[in-house]
Amino acid sequence: MGKSRVAVIWSLAAAVSVLTAGCGQGLLGGGSDGGGDEGPIPLGMLIPQSGSEAAIGPYMKNAAQLAVDEINGKGGVLGRKLELKVADDACDAQTAVAGANKLVTEGVKISVGGYCSGATLPTLPVFGKANIPMIIPAANSQELVDQHLKHVFLINGTGTQQATAAVAWMTKQGAKNVALVHDNTSYSKDIAVRTQRLLDESGGPETAILEAVTPKESDYSANINNILAKKPDFVYWTGYFQEGGLITRQLRQAGYRGAIMVGDGSVSEKLAEIAGPEAAEGVYATMTQTPDTLQGAEGWIASYSKKFGSNPGPYSNQAYDAVRLAAEALKQAGSTDGAKVISALEGINGFQMFSGPLKFTPDHTLSTGGFQILVVKSGKFALQDALK
Amino acid sequence: MTTRTKTRGQGTALGRAASRLFDSKWAGLAGLAVAALAPFLIATPYALSVMTSAAIFVMLASGLNIVVGFCGLLDLGYVAFFAVGAYTSGVLSTRFGLPLLMTVPAVIVVTVIAGIVIGAPTLRLRSDYLAIVTLGFGEIIRITANNLDVTGGPSGIYGIPGLSGSPVVFYYITVVIVSLAVIGASRLGRSRLGRAWRFVREDEDAAEAMGVHTYRVKLAAYIAGAVWGGLAGVLFAGQLSAISPGSFTFLQSALVLMAVVLGGMGSTPGVVVGAIVISLLPEVLRDFADYRFFAFGVLLIVVMLVRPQGLWPHRSREASS
Repeated sequence: MGKSRVAVIWSLAAAVSVLTAGCGQGLLGGGSDGGGDEGPIPLGMLIPQSGSEAAIGPYMKNAAQLAVDEINGKGGVLGRKLELKVADDACDAQTAVAGANKLVTEGVKISVGGYCSGATLPTLPVFGKANIPMIIPAANSQELVDQHLKHVFLINGTGTQQATAAVAWMTKQGAKNVALVHDNTSYSKDIAVRTQRLLDESGGPETAILEAVTPKESDYSANINNILAKKPDFVYWTGYFQEGGLITRQLRQAGYRGAIMVGDGSVSEKLAEIAGPEAAEGVYATMTQTPDTLQGAEGWIASYSKKFGSNPGPYSNQAYDAVRLAAEALKQAGSTDGAKVISALEGINGFQMFSGPLKFTPDHTLSTGGFQILVVKSGKFALQDALK
Repeated sequence: MTTRTKTRGQGTALGRAASRLFDSKWAGLAGLAVAALAPFLIATPYALSVMTSAAIFVMLASGLNIVVGFCGLLDLGYVAFFAVGAYTSGVLSTRFGLPLLMTVPAVIVVTVIAGIVIGAPTLRLRSDYLAIVTLGFGEIIRITANNLDVTGGPSGIYGIPGLSGSPVVFYYITVVIVSLAVIGASRLGRSRLGRAWRFVREDEDAAEAMGVHTYRVKLAAYIAGAVWGGLAGVLFAGQLSAISPGSFTFLQSALVLMAVVLGGMGSTPGVVVGAIVISLLPEVLRDFADYRFFAFGVLLIVVMLVRPQGLWPHRSREASS
């Protein structure tokens, strides 16, 4: 035993001395800060690259890279180039916190990522502690702004704005009895409950039923029976497209003839595939601007597909705008200092984005959500009403 | 579910060196020294966050080791206790403004109750049936948290205070708590109760015949595992500051179980090593992006093929003398 004890101590001492000599990042090394005042300005982006939402990652990353390349092509910002650093959040809280800490360690100056609200929420204090402003392109749950954190800015429409758009369309369509259906995820329930509240206040259409379904099932007939028992003339589904497609099909099979509308999580051609072309025809959707419905974005779509060999997808435009907005804020702040960038972001007025001219509300959300109504025409979502 | 394997190559010099190291009392102290010295080598926010997560995972694995490794009860819903601890501490600290450490007594009480409520009916079952019922309870806890208002529903609880502002201090507090938990689990395993657990694991009927009150002994293992998991949940809530049902899925239970099996069931140092491997590998493989979990899976299969008895298998004292 004596020998092995000596050996352990010696090898430990050797390892410690080698490692401390090797890098100065330890407690005694005097915290070297990656990304100082020289070289490119690093922007951090947390997106899902693995896990259930992995499909979204490339759309956001490519679009952000496109914006970085365009800005660098024009000489960069503050005489320095931009550099995009991407980390995987896997749509999971723990992975996201590790990823956010990784970006902080790499010295990013502004965060331009965030897709899953549940994974973005725990990263807020991580970036906040490091004094890094966050421009969140996609995640939009109300909890992100409810804490009134100075460094958090949302450039996607919020649940309140989506609910407002939904109620506006229901009223316009002359609906009387509305069934609201959600899947009990934070995002979906938020929209449904807010819509219900707006309907109660509006005095127009009434809420017939607020129904929750369990995601990932294949038979929703029990829920459909509950819904149809209340005889609604308008059904609003606020969850994702897999269940949305099934519910649409099963509603039609059960003989429902009224209007069906889905939220932005269901806007995918897969919805029409799952529901079948006949059942899906005429389904409405509340959605922010996508590359397909953007007017005057043909040039942008062309340069995206030329660079990456595929068309932009959901949240490509928001990710692209987040990087452009970050560059603009850096330019106006004249510095990479977090506090100065935050006040520059608060002061921005009329910066042109895909969603229109930008001005943040005191809550750091968009003053106009830019939600519009789409409709399914022969299996594809097309613009129905811009609600302007 | 026996873990007694004596197939290790003891003939070679390497094998002898390895088994001397495995049996050394100093291995644990060396591990603790590495954990304590690590921040002096690298103290970036990223490294600290990863190391803190790894330490919390070690605590989870050592708790499950009591249930699965010592007592041989296959629990597929261990994350339920982790969730109960995290939520109890999260609710108390955000609603009543209690500091995180003050929530610990309440967490212990609640997890003991949860252990009895879940354990009392399920522990009358054996083997596969027990596994299925624990799997069900794991899901029940998650879905309950998803539907209750007090737990914040699907979006969970946010704004949970940490133990201190500095991640370094949090890391050291975590290391101290986790070391105590690991030592405690190991001492429990060698106590009179621990011997009864092992007896139940090897042959429940024989144990019963020899006068061991198997049901009570199994329930004790379950409650101990629940308290360990709940305390790990407190640390988890403090580290992340936000918890939601999405963090407590079956995958998490499976990963903890994997750490126990990979390290060597019933072996305290083995489980610690297994937990560190399981929690660090995905971070090491971060650069593979899309292929991250593919590489993770392949590496795990390779380890199980090369060392089916675990990385650091348990050898009982009675057998090795």
